[in-house]
Amino acid sequence: MSETISGTAQSPAGRGRRPGSGRLVGRVLRQRALVAWGAIVGVIVLAVTFAALLSPYDPNTGTLADSFAPPSWEHWLGADRNGRDVLTRLLYGGQVALLAAVEAVGIAMAVGVPAGLVIGYVGGWLDRILMRLVDGVMSVPFLVLAIAVIAAVGRGLPNAMAVVGLVYAMSVLRLVRGEVLAAREELYVDGLRVSGAGARRILFRHILANIAPPIIVQATLMFATAIIAEATLSYLGLGVTQPTASWGSMLAEAQATIRQNFFLAVPPGMAIFITVLGINQIGEGMRDLFSREITVGRLGLNVVRRAEPERAVSEPVPSALPERPVALEVRNLSVSFPQHGHGRVEVVRGVDLRLHRGELLCLVGESGSGKSVTAMSMLGLVAHPGLVTASSIRLADQEISGLDFAAMRAIRGNRIGVVFQDPLGSLNPTFTVGNQVCEAIREHRDVSRRQARALAIDLFDRVGIPNPAQRFHDYPFQFSGGMAQRVMIAMALSCDPEVLVADEPTTALDVTVQKQILRLLSDLRDERGLAILLITHDLGVVAEVADTVATMYAGQLVEYGPVAEVFAQPRHPYTQGLLDSVPRNEASNGPLASIRGVVPAPVDWPIGCHFADRCDFVEEPCRHSPVPLTGLGESGRAARCVRAGELRLHGISRDRLDTHAGVPSAAGSGTTP
Amino acid sequence: MRTVFVRLLTIIPLVLLVVSGTFFLSLASNVDPAEIILGGNATQEQIDQLRHEKGLDQPALERYGEWLGGVVRGDLGTSIYTGASVTDLFMAALPVTLSLTVGGLLVGVLLGVGLGLLASVVAGSRLDRGVILLSTVGQAAPSFFIGMLIIYFLALKMAWFPATGYVRPSASFGGWLHSLILPSLALGVGVAAALARQARSSMIIALQQDYTRTALSKGHSRRRVVFKHAARNAASPVVTSVSFQVAHLLGGAIVIERLFALPGLGSLTIDAVLRYDPNVIQAVVLFAVVVVVLVNLLVDVSYTWLNPKVRAA
Ligand code: SF4
Repeated sequence: MSETISGTAQSPAGRGRRPGSGRLVGRVLRQRALVAWGAIVGVIVLAVTFAALLSPYDPNTGTLADSFAPPSWEHWLGADRNGRDVLTRLLYGGQVALLAAVEAVGIAMAVGVPAGLVIGYVGGWLDRILMRLVDGVMSVPFLVLAIAVIAAVGRGLPNAMAVVGLVYAMSVLRLVRGEVLAAREELYVDGLRVSGAGARRILFRHILANIAPPIIVQATLMFATAIIAEATLSYLGLGVTQPTASWGSMLAEAQATIRQNFFLAVPPGMAIFITVLGINQIGEGMRDLFSREITVGRLGLNVVRRAEPERAVSEPVPSALPERPVALEVRNLSVSFPQHGHGRVEVVRGVDLRLHRGELLCLVGESGSGKSVTAMSMLGLVAHPGLVTASSIRLADQEISGLDFAAMRAIRGNRIGVVFQDPLGSLNPTFTVGNQVCEAIREHRDVSRRQARALAIDLFDRVGIPNPAQRFHDYPFQFSGGMAQRVMIAMALSCDPEVLVADEPTTALDVTVQKQILRLLSDLRDERGLAILLITHDLGVVAEVADTVATMYAGQLVEYGPVAEVFAQPRHPYTQGLLDSVPRNEASNGPLASIRGVVPAPVDWPIGCHFADRCDFVEEPCRHSPVPLTGLGESGRAARCVRAGELRLHGISRDRLDTHAGVPSAAGSGTTP
Repeated sequence: MRTVFVRLLTIIPLVLLVVSGTFFLSLASNVDPAEIILGGNATQEQIDQLRHEKGLDQPALERYGEWLGGVVRGDLGTSIYTGASVTDLFMAALPVTLSLTVGGLLVGVLLGVGLGLLASVVAGSRLDRGVILLSTVGQAAPSFFIGMLIIYFLALKMAWFPATGYVRPSASFGGWLHSLILPSLALGVGVAAALARQARSSMIIALQQDYTRTALSKGHSRRRVVFKHAARNAASPVVTSVSFQVAHLLGGAIVIERLFALPGLGSLTIDAVLRYDPNVIQAVVLFAVVVVVLVNLLVDVSYTWLNPKVRAA
């Protein structure tokens, strides 16, 4: 079957952790569809089992007077050509179907599970040879195989279903073998070397716990296909022999008289359909129970809606670079996502940002602060259920909030370029980098293929890719992380944008490369008057390149100002906490050593200061009411703290930052004590 | 090209294994073709006589060698029952089955991948749920029941298509197409159902990848993002799934040929089983294995085209 995706839905982390039995029952009951289909299949099984009690007729004899009798009180579903009661034949036919399926699935389990366990456990050459054999058997269409075997050993349903069972055993074997290999790996990793009887018992118990859910699901789905297999074989005359009723043979009989009486095809056809559908639904319902839910997101397109002016828009904070023209100004940007049981939850709340031409503004904060979402939301790149609102987003002199998808296309990639964190994942692996850069150019510029190529090669050259004309034809996987990020930067700059958004562009890179990329960005800023919004959690990066810095905490901007001043004397305790955590391992996104606790989840944000639970300076007024972002009178500084005026925070000394950012070997290697 | 050649060499043992298996299976059988041909009242002498004529009294290995030698030369032996050349029977039936399976594959791929793609871009919507429902229904209904419904409504009630029978393309190309539409539909629905699911889930995964976001950030149209960037990446698992479906189609063709009275390999096989004609069955098994193995090879080759990383390796 085609369950490649859902079959692997069980995440590796979920392996071996089963829901407690009490919770499992609860989840079963919550899945109403599963219960309903279980009931339907249950009724079918009961009716079929007690066919002799339910029906007064003999399935194989009829009175000719009743030939083709329409449905009536005597014959609920009518009678067939030979005057036999259709409902009775349907019930007895069901016995044949269920028994055949039990046989096939039973054989599949009895052969497949032990064989898989042994092959997976022994491994080595036995594994290799037998898996070849399994591949061989599985390469023959099962119906053809069944026919070949029936031809040899003689007709008869039990023979045929035994073949079906053996074919199924192959896929059970594969599944079990895979689980055994995975379990061995896992136990090995856990330091439990498998040796001796005790360890072997642990291994098998562990494996059985892991394979039970997928095996149960597989067996259920197999049961459904076995019913179809039985019907198919009997339909072809290779299964049950006349006059025994089977759903398949009933359909074959109905087909012979389809011109006189079509109705006869309906009961057996629907019997197969409903039974198989029901069992399939049960199987899939169980799969959903055992595996974690896969969230389904739609194409990441979410235009920015114009916010209703319900929330009082605060006074704009004074500019830190008043002499320069504004490139991008965001007012009151909020992003919310629906969350189960909480309605819509805001993850970004009322953010104001101003970016000038030639300015590099760093947006800093721990993960979970909402800094990435903020940047993506301005471009309409927030994933499906997200909702983005803003009072205003101005790009130079154009209002871009409220624009629809089509209108935003002229902005994205053209006037605002984006560089993402993981350059290799962000480039399409199936196209050459040249193709992808030219594609961006030709999306916005009316140039020929040849001109686009020349432009792209120039850009590659500018961002420091050696042999640009050759590398043009390479695929992303042929690039190192740093080179791939240069490609991304070239792509983002390909249409000469006014604003560049760079979302943690150096986090995935090693320290030397990191410095080169940062230098490239700041050169581009100076050279082109580019306004750059650089998102990072690394204050070393900020010190190195930023003109201004904005700190975000729990969905809000908490401090803003020129980088030298903010670093010398922060006005918000959270900024101070971030500074105290320098130097920090670039790769780490874990809790900060300098501030206890972690960023609270959006549903838990308090009414008052969001930072209150982690703040060393918290006082009663902090928790009262929302704290506004207030201008501090000095040159474009602002903070969201009740005590901003009175606190004297010590900031960070220049040399501590330099050690971090200036000497590559000192940080980022992960070996720094 | 070289790798394709090497792969071709490695599949020979696999094919040999399966066909030899079938051959010896038929030898181990307790059914004696001679008895069946002569019927119940034949004397032991008559049976022995016939066994000798047909070469059934030769030692097993000798018969095997002879048969295999014939296969290599393109001679699949003769039908014990009619004495006709199996190669001739086979070649007469092959075009029918090929037309039907290709038709079914077309229906399955076009309908399945189309619906899957559509569902993936509107994941979670009512349309998406509709596609999922259709696919669930398509997977639960046996092809011959779907076929009977199709015959009843489109051929008998509406008389738009012939209910049964096959028209050779050399006789009438239009008639050939016309005679194949309903069988291909009946055969393809189940395939479409399976492929729709696969295409939907691989597309949903591709649409959530970073490169999709990048493509959007470049200002491309939705169509370009979906059909160029995501679809190319989602293609590999779908192609794999198509290759599974080919085996499924070959088996399904047997049933559909019977339903629509098409004189293809399926009908040949069923007749052969019912009257016990081992050479014919071996020929069909051989054919099925070769097709499946070749399709797998084709799929592997397509990976190298779909995935540049494989190409470079
Ligand atoms: S408002 Fe109070 S709790 Fe919040 S950061 Fe300022 S001092 Fe700390």
